[in-house]
Amino acid sequence: METTAGTAAAPTHRRRRRPGLTTPGLLGLPVSWLIVFFVVPIAIVAAYSVDVFVLFPGPHSFTFSAWHSFFSKGIYFPLFFKSVEMSLTVSAVVVVVAYPLAYYLALSGTRRKYVLLLVLIAPFLTSYLLRVLAWKVILGDNGVINTFLFSTGLRAHGHPLSFLLYSRFAVMLVLGYVWLPFVALPIFVTLESLDRGLLEAASDLYASRRQAFLRVTLPLSLPGVVAAFLFVFIPTVGEFVTPSLVGGANGYMYGSQIVDLFEQGFPDWETGAVLSLFLLGVISVLTLVFVRFLRAGEARTA
Amino acid sequence: MEGEPFDRRLSRADMLRLAAAAAGVGVVAGPAAAADAARARLSQESGRLQVMDWAGYCNDGGQSMFAAYVHKHPNNKPQFTHMTNESNALAQIHAGAHPDLFRPYCGWNKYFVQSGLVQPWNPKLISNFKHLNPSMVKAGQYNGKQYGIPDDWGFDAILYRKDKVHPKAKSWGLLFDERYKGKIAWFDDLEMITVAGLYLHAKNPWNQTSEELKRSQDFLMKKKHVARLIWASETDLWQAFGSGDIWVAYAWPNDWVQMKKKFPVVYMHPKEKPIAWVGMFMLLSGTPRFHLAHAYVDAWSSKKSGRWLENNYGYGHANLEAKPSSSALLKALQLSNPKAVRMPYAHLDRDIPQRQHYAQLWEQVKAS
Repeated sequence: METTAGTAAAPTHRRRRRPGLTTPGLLGLPVSWLIVFFVVPIAIVAAYSVDVFVLFPGPHSFTFSAWHSFFSKGIYFPLFFKSVEMSLTVSAVVVVVAYPLAYYLALSGTRRKYVLLLVLIAPFLTSYLLRVLAWKVILGDNGVINTFLFSTGLRAHGHPLSFLLYSRFAVMLVLGYVWLPFVALPIFVTLESLDRGLLEAASDLYASRRQAFLRVTLPLSLPGVVAAFLFVFIPTVGEFVTPSLVGGANGYMYGSQIVDLFEQGFPDWETGAVLSLFLLGVISVLTLVFVRFLRAGEARTA
Repeated sequence: MEGEPFDRRLSRADMLRLAAAAAGVGVVAGPAAAADAARARLSQESGRLQVMDWAGYCNDGGQSMFAAYVHKHPNNKPQFTHMTNESNALAQIHAGAHPDLFRPYCGWNKYFVQSGLVQPWNPKLISNFKHLNPSMVKAGQYNGKQYGIPDDWGFDAILYRKDKVHPKAKSWGLLFDERYKGKIAWFDDLEMITVAGLYLHAKNPWNQTSEELKRSQDFLMKKKHVARLIWASETDLWQAFGSGDIWVAYAWPNDWVQMKKKFPVVYMHPKEKPIAWVGMFMLLSGTPRFHLAHAYVDAWSSKKSGRWLENNYGYGHANLEAKPSSSALLKALQLSNPKAVRMPYAHLDRDIPQRQHYAQLWEQVKAS
């Protein structure tokens, strides 16, 4: 018995060692990448926020003065909340718009679903800048929409819908347009991988289509929905390119402020770094909350 | 101290020969010898000349301004880095960029000199220097040394469509006129605090007291709703103005040149006076291409370059011999008036001692 046990244990030991070497080998490159291009840059920004690094040469010492000023004056909070509100609105609306689209593509059984998917992502074949600028032609005071309204008599000449461009609305519309495929794709993937047997089972148990959707499809597709929501929310809350192109004075966002602090007027890298890290912190917390919510939902479903 | 690179390398005789050669005269020591000396000194400097300049003044349309330099120094062609504004240039330089020369506008001269980032030029190495507007040359001096070589100049004033807009007065107040709410474009720069100060009669708009600054900032915040666009790049302004989304704008002369191709426009000099600016080439301290930088600026300072700039960009040029083809531009820029950039015609832009504070106030206006 002992001999048998001894000989049986040796190969097991060897098998245990192999994954020990493989895992770091596989993870080494991506982890190094993350450290060099994510952790280190954030550490540098953090160092600027507390004056360990400074742009201007001269004596400097560790201080939380920029952080203190940020929290005590609260000048940037209204802008931050405005950006969060805009971003949440865009994310929610786009998810609502994209879900039926992804649902149709994944579950309708159409043989052309991959062709339609290609059509959905086709705008990505053109440049981001070009797509955003095209909206100016559509939304301007003499753009496509206003010209149509003038020609149909729905608006009097000389009285265009000026909120269409250089406004919050314009920023949210363009962001929604730009990010729509990013929302549709994760939802599509989730729905595509859905076990159809569950839907058949629901049907066998006399669930209506609505009940099957609400109690089977929707809960099981929530991971994709949350991922899609985060895909939009995280980048758009710090967005600055789109606001600078179509936002005008009213569509100015928190991300625009960060960029301007770094290089407009007079460089203020300390405050810019504080604003950047605050944004990163808030997004991290929100992401964790979403993930927790998602896991709780999964547990309930299980 | 800043002149050391030049003093150290050249004897007085060399300097005379070099100056003569650069001017194309070469009669002091004979044409051949002078030219040889100049070439010898220039050939000691190697590599491509590093220039930090604004978009439109590099290899992206501004080639005519420095064509003579490229022709003479094909092995030391300029290599450009873009600066989006002086603040951006300052950040780039402190972050490790090493241009040989760059081109801020006159309001920043004192700051850059006092920061120790720049050294004075030797005007004797710039043959066209004697043709430059003395008033602008003076604006480039600090403590008797020539830190800035003036090049292009123009105004910050108001552009409006005369078929749509009927100002009550020739005033900066047009930028805050409620009648044109949603059709007005401001400029994304702390200069807006100065403009508010001018409009509200601050004693010194470039160095306002705390009360005046609060009043200027409150005023801008209160009036922000009339501004549809706060432009940072001219192309943004041209798109908005050209498509009819904007009728009134804080603008530069080139904007007037571009927009008058499409609309009947007026480039209004307000009664509070426009703000005049002069571009200044500045030489970075310790540059290894001291003479090449001078040669580059000399090319920029020529009558031919100046005329090209005026005709194509609608800005004035410091070379007094440069005159544009268009009499309308001549009149709009007051090019016949060598003192156009100074009072009683305009406020020449100047140092803002509280620049950082002004910048913070302006950022808060935008964030409001």
